[in-house]
Amino acid sequence: MLREVQGSLGRVVLVNVWATWCEPCREELPDLVRVQRELGGQGFRLILVSADFVSQRPAAAAFLAAQGVRSPTFAKAQGDQEFIDGLESRWTGALPATLLFDRQGRKVAFWEGKASYAELVAKVKPLLGGG
Amino acid sequence: MRITTLAAFAIVGLAAGSQAGVALTLGDRAPAADVKMKNVDGRELTIGEVAGARGTLVIFSCNHCPWVKAWEQRLAELGNACKAKGIGVIVVNPNDPAAYPEDSFEGMQERAKARGFQFPYVVDSTSGVARAFGATRTPEAFLFDAAGALVYHGAIDDNAEDAAKVTKHYLRDALDAVATGARPAIAESKAIGCSIKLRAD
Repeated sequence: MLREVQGSLGRVVLVNVWATWCEPCREELPDLVRVQRELGGQGFRLILVSADFVSQRPAAAAFLAAQGVRSPTFAKAQGDQEFIDGLESRWTGALPATLLFDRQGRKVAFWEGKASYAELVAKVKPLLGGG
Repeated sequence: MRITTLAAFAIVGLAAGSQAGVALTLGDRAPAADVKMKNVDGRELTIGEVAGARGTLVIFSCNHCPWVKAWEQRLAELGNACKAKGIGVIVVNPNDPAAYPEDSFEGMQERAKARGFQFPYVVDSTSGVARAFGATRTPEAFLFDAAGALVYHGAIDDNAEDAAKVTKHYLRDALDAVATGARPAIAESKAIGCSIKLRAD
């Protein structure tokens, strides 16, 4: 229950669910990594969750390494229905899916579909505030 | 690169919009039922024209999505069995082939032949049918009963990766129920899928 998000209280957290076979996810990921690199020092944390099949996890790890992702990431470990509803009841299951939490751990945004670098920064920066 | 398996954490809060329109709710009738869509055999068909005496199954699908590919044999088997149950079937590809060339009409023809589809596989040429349904991903199934009311919406089953490990045969069970005039025990389900690449308005 919210372990990873609650463990990051005090930081703005963006959770992104992606998969190696999801082209918009692959296109978006470099921008997510860029936002983490640029805003991590201001209290931003990116949590990536792969929805790849178990057999594809090596490919997911390789893709993340190629993108320069060095921090631990996560993978779906249960059935789709439970995973989807556990994250966001309004999520239809389409990828990519993103949730944004403020420094108090409150979910403030959810969206399906790819976001551009500019859109990501526009959503995250106001939450960083004065630190 | 360390990847940690993660049990989903429950989150309650506000949602901030989604890709397509609001999805149909149970009891709704099929929208855009008179929109003509080109089938792989060249005919123009509508959802209304393929409706069955016992019910109608509409599945949004495509060629390129690996989740569709994982489920496709099961989709073909279920779809091919519908005629004997009195259920009409139409599989709709709403994707923009400019975004995914694999979703071209020629690609659809090849896929239908390779998988032995005995039902229409049509092009939603404006993505308007997908928008009307509020469909967001492929594959996504909508099953209507004999009266035309939506009685099941969602996934084919609960395990795309391994057919042998399926524990919930959502669509199969829903089709069996509708064929006998009964209501599906599970009316809605969710699954991971590829977002629909809507054509520009």
